[in-house]
Amino acid sequence: MDGYGEKRVVSSWRIAGFALAVMLGIIYLIVSLYHVQVEQTSGFSEDQLRQSLRRVQVPGPRGRIFDRNRVCLADNRPSYCIAFYVEELRQRGRWANTIRHVNAKIDELALTLGVPRQISEAAVTNHVMKTLPMPLLAWRDVSQETLAKWAELAGDFPGVDVYVQPERAYPYGSLAAHVIGYVKRDKPKEQKEPINGEMPERAHFYLPEMFGASGIEFAYNNQLTGQLGEQSIQVDARGYKHSVWMGRPSVVGRDITLTLEVGVQHEVERMLRNRRGAGVVIDVRSGEILAMASSPTFDLNAFVPNIRAGIWEELNTDKQLPLFNRAIQGRYAPGSTFKPVTALAALHSPNFNVEETHTCNGVFVLGTMRLRCWNSYGHGEIGFLKAIEQSCNSYFCTIAQEIGYPAIYAQAKALGLGRAAGIDLPSENRGLLPTEKWKEDNLRDRWRVGDTCQIGIGQGLLLTTPLQMAVLTAAVANGGKVYRPYLVAREGLPQVVMTNVWKAGAVELVRQGMREVVMHGTGRRLALSGVNVAGKTGTAEIDVGGVRRKNTWITAFAPFEAPQIAVVMVVEDGESGGQTVAPLVRQVMKTYFGEAAGEPVMATESRVVEVVPEEEDPSEPAAHPGGERGD
Amino acid sequence: MFARMFQQLRLLNPILLFCMLGLTTFGVLYIYSSCSVRDDKELQMLYMRHLEVAVVGLIAYFACAFMNYRRWMQWSCIGYVGMLVILVLVLIPGIGESIMGARRWIFGVQPSEPAKLVVILMLAWLYSREEVKHGAGLYFLSLALVGVPALLILVQPDLGTAMVLVPTMLVMMFSANIAPKLFWTSIGLGLVAASVILGIIYAVERVEMPQERRDMLIRATCLRPHQIQRLDVFLFPDKDLHGSGYNRRQSEIAVGSGGFHGKGYLKGEQYMLGYLPPSVSSNDFIFAVLAEEAGFVGSLTVLLLFLGLIWSVLWVAFRCRDDGGRLFCIGVAALIFSHMFINIAMTIGLMPITGLPLPFISYGRTFTLTMMVTLGIVQSVAMYGRESEHRFL
Repeated sequence: MDGYGEKRVVSSWRIAGFALAVMLGIIYLIVSLYHVQVEQTSGFSEDQLRQSLRRVQVPGPRGRIFDRNRVCLADNRPSYCIAFYVEELRQRGRWANTIRHVNAKIDELALTLGVPRQISEAAVTNHVMKTLPMPLLAWRDVSQETLAKWAELAGDFPGVDVYVQPERAYPYGSLAAHVIGYVKRDKPKEQKEPINGEMPERAHFYLPEMFGASGIEFAYNNQLTGQLGEQSIQVDARGYKHSVWMGRPSVVGRDITLTLEVGVQHEVERMLRNRRGAGVVIDVRSGEILAMASSPTFDLNAFVPNIRAGIWEELNTDKQLPLFNRAIQGRYAPGSTFKPVTALAALHSPNFNVEETHTCNGVFVLGTMRLRCWNSYGHGEIGFLKAIEQSCNSYFCTIAQEIGYPAIYAQAKALGLGRAAGIDLPSENRGLLPTEKWKEDNLRDRWRVGDTCQIGIGQGLLLTTPLQMAVLTAAVANGGKVYRPYLVAREGLPQVVMTNVWKAGAVELVRQGMREVVMHGTGRRLALSGVNVAGKTGTAEIDVGGVRRKNTWITAFAPFEAPQIAVVMVVEDGESGGQTVAPLVRQVMKTYFGEAAGEPVMATESRVVEVVPEEEDPSEPAAHPGGERGD
Repeated sequence: MFARMFQQLRLLNPILLFCMLGLTTFGVLYIYSSCSVRDDKELQMLYMRHLEVAVVGLIAYFACAFMNYRRWMQWSCIGYVGMLVILVLVLIPGIGESIMGARRWIFGVQPSEPAKLVVILMLAWLYSREEVKHGAGLYFLSLALVGVPALLILVQPDLGTAMVLVPTMLVMMFSANIAPKLFWTSIGLGLVAASVILGIIYAVERVEMPQERRDMLIRATCLRPHQIQRLDVFLFPDKDLHGSGYNRRQSEIAVGSGGFHGKGYLKGEQYMLGYLPPSVSSNDFIFAVLAEEAGFVGSLTVLLLFLGLIWSVLWVAFRCRDDGGRLFCIGVAALIFSHMFINIAMTIGLMPITGLPLPFISYGRTFTLTMMVTLGIVQSVAMYGRESEHRFL
């Protein structure tokens, strides 16, 4: 090769060797690239998505709640929040740097927007440590002006965005608060449940959805709850939105229509305002609840977006128990409103003669026990109808003693007492319809005749809820059908739980008695000129820690000839059923029947109209401690 | 004369030209791509600057091709001294321009780039002198000749450019078979030193020890903190993904997510969304943009073009009849290979991050022009190297 006579130090072998090395180097790179680009590509693609995709949940709004005439009682409104996507604000080094940075940004934004800081530094730390992938809602429910200001300077704050959250809105505030119930939000939690049947690739965090914590919101939570949707937003390294992909659309929850009638509901609540008590209006032909109220009440909007600790504390420690739904949870002695049950039991008892009269001299004596009639002068010779009309305790104690407790128990049970009425609301109380065994087990005492007499006039151990009394009154009004009360119509409703088969004329007689109550008796303040109302008054005296209190009742139905509705109201610490509650129930009746109802026959202002002495004298001293009285 | 030129033209290596033009085309395409998302109009037009310099470079390429390379060799001594002067001048504030803390520019030119060419020419000339004995003396002389400009470049600072001179020199020494014992011994020592440094960094991270000893060990490596950090990231890639490991991580994601076919031209998400910082996507990390958009197919094409380019340079060396031409070509091949290997390897995390551009593809005007002139000289070797040296002289 060296034919040219030149000195050659660079051998061709070495060139070839280097060429080989070059080839090996390039092969090494090709193999490595193959590894990265072909074998591991899915992993890297995933990494890329992970860092550039902001997964956002699209809230599924809750279904709305309407009254029977499609008046909206629970609606949704958009609530604008300013959210920090902390992962995009990641600072070098320790997480503390990021937390500091986020806090600084929040302060800076607070200053520029002119809104006070809402979120504490501890909450920011907590968010970063526990729920990092979710938006940190620094301001919830911001005003339109703030939103407008934000829109102008959004570009200066990468990683910060507006987050729209649907919030519950109750157009009528506290109307039907106990029925509708309030909503709460959970703490954020990791989504581990499969979505649409497939497990998400990575654990997703979700901002908690609202859930119903009481009332209809709780009972129908599954129907009302919408389904979260998911959106993927591609963001650049500075957090600007690039493009949006809809992952899963959100689903709006199902609307619910209640049987409530806003007008009646409102009237019941208006009547109970500034009182403690409850009211139920039920359709006697089906068990539909037209109104249900408990007083004192609360503002449903106070629970949105989150109830303030102060208000929550207040609601829970209030001695008047505003969160307590007295209509289904309150246990009251029904007092004289129970007398129709005793009367019905008596009419079916072989030991009872309806023609027989008894003498009332103002007090019923049984051994050492004295049961006082509300009329201390006594009703004198008194018969069946008159006893109902005048609500004579002596008469009913006597016949209760005659027919015996099992007959009363059976009739009360057949009218739905002692068991939950089965309304579609949570935590309904069963009341108490005691048996002899129950007394032995719980009070370590045998059953005495006194117990029978007391229960005969709706006192003693007997406890009922206003709803139970409403169902009972409806059954008396409709001729014996105990309906299951309901707020939301669904298949299988109306449902007759029990049907009472009474002797011919029996229930008519009791109803007649109840009509007499309104016409001449203790419930004259129920009377309306246009509609014939029948009803029963009741004043149950109870001993609460040595203090005598009176729970006053009215159970009424109308029209007398062809009953449509039953109204039951109870007012705690009233004067008497006829005095305190009757005008309220009359007003509810008037609202329900509208024009047809006519005018009150007897003015509410008793002082002006009353010429006859008060039929129930509240100032009368109690006959014996712990005693109860009917009116 | 034209007849002779035509004769010469037939000797031109076509594969070399083809590969160079192919790589430059990739460069223009992907500089356009990587800058298409920039806000600045001037930056969007960066691909035009690259195209301009490529056209100028191509003219220079042919000019150099038709000029006998031996002339370059003869001038290499003067060129070397001139280069040293300019490398010193560039360090003087007021003369050298400083961008991002590095003083590398003088009149818009990076003198460290032509310095590589000058060093290769110098060594090739030196090794091919008949009167020069290939002993230990030459070995140390070479070290000094490479070391002085390397140090001057290192203080700019431009670690990558300074470092790339070392493999180039080693390959040339190996080819010229200079002081073999000394050569292999120093290679061995170098490998030992590198493993010791990496070992120390590994130990500092993973072995429990008091802080003073940690600091002492770090000082013993004689490296600067940011260099330590780069090696640290190389050894522990997942340690600080949002900090010092960010670029490496993002370029790896870009390459990896490209897949086999790539995402399509102008559809790379990593640079578009700014995860791959725009400051590096058009130069040091352009391969990540390319690999993301063109996929494995694209990266393979580029690698094959580089293989073709380097092999044709070596083929020119093989066909050349004198040591000077051969050594020059080998030096050029080593330089291009080092650039390419280090750049791509760092993009996919196989090597620590060093700011080295990818020849013909990365944006860098001085560098591209220098590389084209260099390849022009290689073409000159192809054309004139087969003649006797004596005929030229």
